[in-house]
Amino acid sequence: MGVTSWMYAVWWARAARGATLTRIEHIQQQRDRHGRKALAVLPVHHPKELLTALDLLAVELWGPPGPPRGPDAGRIQAYVCPVVRNALAFLASGGADAVDGVLFPHTCDSLQQLATLAPDLGGWSKASFTFQHPKGPPRPSARAFLEAELRSLARELEAFTGRRLEPARLEAALQLHEEIDRIRAALLDAGPRLAMSDAELYALLRRGEWLWPADHLDELRAARSAIQPGPVREGVPVLVTGYVPEPAALLDVLERSGAYVAGDDYAAIGRRVVRARCEGDAWKRLVERYWSAPPCPTRSADQDARMSHLVELLERSGARGVVVHGVKFCEPELFDVPAIRATFAARGVPVLVLETELERELSGQTTTRLEAFVEMLSAGRAA
Amino acid sequence: MLRRMQYEAAGRIGAPFLAALEAWQRRLRPRGAPRESPFGPPLEATRKLKELMTAHYFQGRYADGAVPVAWVTSGFPVEVLRPLGFHAVYPENHAALCGVRRIVPELSDAAEAEGYARDLCSYARTDVGSLLTGSTPVGRLPRPDLLACCTNICQTVLYWYRALAAKLGVPLVLVDTPYVYGEAKPHHRAYVRAQLEELVAVAERVSGRKIDPEELAEATRKAKEGSELWGECLAAATSKPAPWTGFDGFFHIAPIVTLRGTDACNAYYRLLRDELCDRVRRGVGGIRREEHRLLWDNLPIWFAVREISTTLAERGFNFVCTSYTNAWAEAGSRVDPADPLGSAGVAYTHVILNQDLRHRLDTLRRLAREYQVDGAVLHSDRSCKPYSVGQVDLKERLAAELGLRVLLLEADHNDPRAWASEQADNRLTAFMESFA
Repeated sequence: MGVTSWMYAVWWARAARGATLTRIEHIQQQRDRHGRKALAVLPVHHPKELLTALDLLAVELWGPPGPPRGPDAGRIQAYVCPVVRNALAFLASGGADAVDGVLFPHTCDSLQQLATLAPDLGGWSKASFTFQHPKGPPRPSARAFLEAELRSLARELEAFTGRRLEPARLEAALQLHEEIDRIRAALLDAGPRLAMSDAELYALLRRGEWLWPADHLDELRAARSAIQPGPVREGVPVLVTGYVPEPAALLDVLERSGAYVAGDDYAAIGRRVVRARCEGDAWKRLVERYWSAPPCPTRSADQDARMSHLVELLERSGARGVVVHGVKFCEPELFDVPAIRATFAARGVPVLVLETELERELSGQTTTRLEAFVEMLSAGRAA
Repeated sequence: MLRRMQYEAAGRIGAPFLAALEAWQRRLRPRGAPRESPFGPPLEATRKLKELMTAHYFQGRYADGAVPVAWVTSGFPVEVLRPLGFHAVYPENHAALCGVRRIVPELSDAAEAEGYARDLCSYARTDVGSLLTGSTPVGRLPRPDLLACCTNICQTVLYWYRALAAKLGVPLVLVDTPYVYGEAKPHHRAYVRAQLEELVAVAERVSGRKIDPEELAEATRKAKEGSELWGECLAAATSKPAPWTGFDGFFHIAPIVTLRGTDACNAYYRLLRDELCDRVRRGVGGIRREEHRLLWDNLPIWFAVREISTTLAERGFNFVCTSYTNAWAEAGSRVDPADPLGSAGVAYTHVILNQDLRHRLDTLRRLAREYQVDGAVLHSDRSCKPYSVGQVDLKERLAAELGLRVLLLEADHNDPRAWASEQADNRLTAFMESFA
């Protein structure tokens, strides 16, 4: 898809300028200009508002994709999620030396083990923190625990940064992230009205994983101009759900085949966009934002609630098919696959289940399956 | 009313009758010449164990509609459910039984056809497959009124149970135990305690009864005593020769998992402890010629326990301790009948799989010293990530610090399709030869 409006051209020019900045350069820039420390953050859910309020740059570490960077991946068995194996190799090989510490959210068993393996038995010698978000529904105990855990983490990070968490700064950080979520939601919801390819959209959204949030917000505001009043994209709308959009080539294959992402439920993307407006004081809103995010198996949200959310997303987006895109060995995602299949089969909506490694390229086999799936949707045939 | 009578009759009449029938059949069975076996004489208590577990599962067939039924994870504080009259079913134990009976592939096939990936925990696939097909070696599993899940053994159980909750349409109570890195923080303890109080409210609603604090204290006392008795059974193997094998322990663990907090459980372990102590006094070993003593880490490989233990026993190797069976002995020390919920919160948060790798290493070191082992086999279990991630480093540390010979053996605790017996045999043989 080409550039369709002058506003989009302006945005793209600005984004292209910013995009030349690498993560390491950005970390260095933030340190030099603002004295900000940086924290590598493992997937998925973490209190980014808290980090922003404490002037900490979060740099998310989703692997990274590709072959493990160093031999330490061999310290974890090959039947374990590649995000975790690659992360250990990356940390142990000095890949994250530019940051000052690591934050491990309690996402799954494998990440839980990485959070003790790397700091305790070798691979990471700088500061390390854990964020143990509650699992299950928002029971009173879980709400109280989440607030206590957030406050506990805040105290640890205050000591780490040497900065006090001022209420005004927390309030400002909340407002900043609320604004970011509003624009991210608008971009994800734009569907055929978005004058931007999926590859461009996801590149933009994923830059939010490591840019200073205010800088990311600037890019998002500029990108909002790509939302057009009427349809500008053609093709088959699909809903994508999964862990992380890697390899990114998947988006190119979809587009080349004549489809686009109309609904996003990636853990890395759509499931972290809070759409509800949360009320109350800053701590209450912080807690509320956690529970208001879309259902995610890594937070062990009720499976029925997740299925309802996916159906609603499908209907809202007009998607004609569902691509379930999981990373191999990802238990939280894989356990929901039968329910997703059954939910959409009952509605006559075709589902394609893809399991990929954390590679940079999409295999030819997967490409063929995607192409065939889009072709089937285009022909309007049921699965 | 009729259902309740059937349930009671199954426990009081049916199960003893089945046990008597089994004993009678055993006596009638023709006996050939005694086979050459590397093992010591079989434990007398094993017969009682079979009776106990047969009775548990047989009575369970009639439980739904008679008494409230809970499907419970192995690390769940089940003593809270005992005073409310729940019949507790342990899907993990049931899955292990399916593993021993070697019917996992057909059950897993059914789960995989439904969409469950083969990379998921084989316990989960086994039980989902059993649910889908109705196939089980125990005749029938009662339908649950409540699903009770504690994340202290893994997060997998939660993904598994939330899928069950959606499928069965029954309430799921969760005890989410924050992982212990170093020390459990005060708010972590408070969280678990608060969840136990929430659990009581849900369990009371489902059972239609109010919990009696005295009965709860009594169930807690029994659970503590059961855990301690189990610990005494395990400790018998610190003697040389060990009066049983660690692999025997994998089977005799069933009551402390499934009947914890009951008189039947404790009576059984008194019997077993006394027999083990008697064997220690008489110098009777679990294997005939104990030359090397080993430690086992992680779950057993249920379908190959006999195969592995025989291979090793024939060469004079005995597994005298396992970190897995030890886990159920450790909880007892933290349980306090005077504070059932508070102490359960602490005890169940501090199980081995819910603590960091430093603690795990310390535990393995302690076991290695107390049981005087000279080698260890770490089962790298495809189906259990929390137990397996970190084992490569643990292996190196145990070898370097304690001078142990250590083997990392990759398998799966329940799925024989991930097991190559020839390859494993080669590895075990090479491992044993390294002791020469």
